[in-house]
Amino acid sequence: MTDRAKSKVLVTMVGFTLLCILTTPWLGQQLTSWDVLFSPRADKVDTIIFWQIRVPRVVLALLAGAGLSLGGVVFQALFRNPLATPFTLGVASGASLGVTIAMVTGIHFTLVGLSATSLASLLGAILSIALVYGVARASGKTSPSTMLLGGVAISFFFSSLILLLQYLSDAGSSFRILHWLMGDLSRASMDSVLQLAPFVISGILIVSIFHKELNLLSITDDIAASRGVDVHRTQKLLFFAVSLMVAGIITVCGPIGFVGIMAPHICRILIGANHRFLIPASILFGASFLTLCDTLARNITSTAEVPVGIVTAILGGPFFLWLLFSKKKSPI
Amino acid sequence: MSSHSSSIIQASGISLSRGGAQLLANASLSVNIGERLAIVGSNGAGKTTLIRCLLGLADPDSGSIELNGHPLSETSRTELAQQIAYVPQQLAERISFTATEFINMSRYAHTGGASMNQFDHQGTEAVEEAIEQTNISHLRHQSLSTMSGGERQRVNIAAALAQKTPILILDEPTAHLDPKQRGLIQKLLANITKNREITLVVITHDLNWASSDFDRIIGIRDGHIEIDAQADTFMKKEVLMKVFDTELLLHPHPDSGRAMILPYSSCSSPSTSSPKS
Repeated sequence: MTDRAKSKVLVTMVGFTLLCILTTPWLGQQLTSWDVLFSPRADKVDTIIFWQIRVPRVVLALLAGAGLSLGGVVFQALFRNPLATPFTLGVASGASLGVTIAMVTGIHFTLVGLSATSLASLLGAILSIALVYGVARASGKTSPSTMLLGGVAISFFFSSLILLLQYLSDAGSSFRILHWLMGDLSRASMDSVLQLAPFVISGILIVSIFHKELNLLSITDDIAASRGVDVHRTQKLLFFAVSLMVAGIITVCGPIGFVGIMAPHICRILIGANHRFLIPASILFGASFLTLCDTLARNITSTAEVPVGIVTAILGGPFFLWLLFSKKKSPI
Repeated sequence: MSSHSSSIIQASGISLSRGGAQLLANASLSVNIGERLAIVGSNGAGKTTLIRCLLGLADPDSGSIELNGHPLSETSRTELAQQIAYVPQQLAERISFTATEFINMSRYAHTGGASMNQFDHQGTEAVEEAIEQTNISHLRHQSLSTMSGGERQRVNIAAALAQKTPILILDEPTAHLDPKQRGLIQKLLANITKNREITLVVITHDLNWASSDFDRIIGIRDGHIEIDAQADTFMKKEVLMKVFDTELLLHPHPDSGRAMILPYSSCSSPSTSSPKS
């Protein structure tokens, strides 16, 4: 595939993402008229639904989808493993453990605009990142496979602690924990968008700067180093930048699975492994995919919304399997 | 051993242990400008560890390495990549970059990146020259994952050539290749070093190639440099015994008369053959 052909795929993806942005806020149980576009500050129900509920929710889905997909791209390159995502390394389970503790203990406070649950989630995610990296570093075994296995072990350990806390908690807390663990965008607001945007935008900027290094690191550490890349410094920087970005996403939206594995893999099939194209493609694909899934999640039943994490897995799973076993050559 | 003044790489007393195993023990060598140096030895003797140290990919526990008279430990990765290009044994099949993408990536140390742009004229020339030298024009847009082992190895070498460095280090470049592909790689390396502008360091198990196409051969055994000799004096039973701890069947080449290693057959006995030169 030539660079020109890849550029055409990217332009198509940009068009598709724009189409998602322009259409999805209009889709919902309550039909809204075009008037809402011209009176964003009016107190009518239509206007409130459109500007204060649907638009922030679509923007949140775009940001979260882009960030989750990008996190997968970076971790798969750093660990040279198609299954690696910040989730695999325990970021999601760390955040979930933090939220579970906050919910079980019933702590309520707000600090710099963040609720106790959000702070607990962020701290839990940071704790798991620090544990995986710290343990690997202390033992002198910072190879991709060791860190990946360490992350999986920490992930299982945290998941077991969550189950234990859920088992010991009352029915109300247990349900709230379960609901949070499903990943949900129904709490979207302009505040949550503003909370998440710095995490995702800074993550995208940092990763985009390092697209050349990611290409080389995805081959082998030795190749990257012999071509001039400062391997350890770059790996560390990307590991922490992306983990923090995904921690921010989980804090605001809960753990929405599968996007980080599926979106980068589909983009590799569509556009190849060169991160110069793969990074923007994954950002666009992840953003559109989560936006569409969330639109489906809030329209699938007329009585209640389905958490988007369930929709991404239900839609993504079979589609991913079909792609893997179809005749098209898979880069895995 | 040649004089220190003409050496481009100078390693003195380097030792390296990992997990209780001594991988390199007090190894010293110098590589001269424009020289073709072969490193041979049994599997696990320490050949790859030695070149990993020369490439700055492994830090020796003791000893020193100098590149152009400067300590390697004080040389940045970018500076190193502008001096030494490395060709690893084999590229993994999973790599799905196209040949052009992979070769462009080797310009990283010069241009700061994998993706060339229209202003990188020097890089474009270097990449085109490497593609021409290795005769892989037809593979430009093909993914490495769909290439044969020989094709992948030519792309691997093209990438190192596009790096435009005065030193080229290759780790078993002809391993796992059929005779035709092996011949192509050997001819290619002979061509690119014929005017002595590139210093070549190659790890190989092909002793016949080492003795015919290289100036000097270093023999390693159990992390020690056992032999550092001119290529034409290396192919002797006692020398080979010292490096490989086994008796090898030597026979003179019908044209050049140079001693060659022959494969054993069930009908031959090592004790009955010796070089006639």
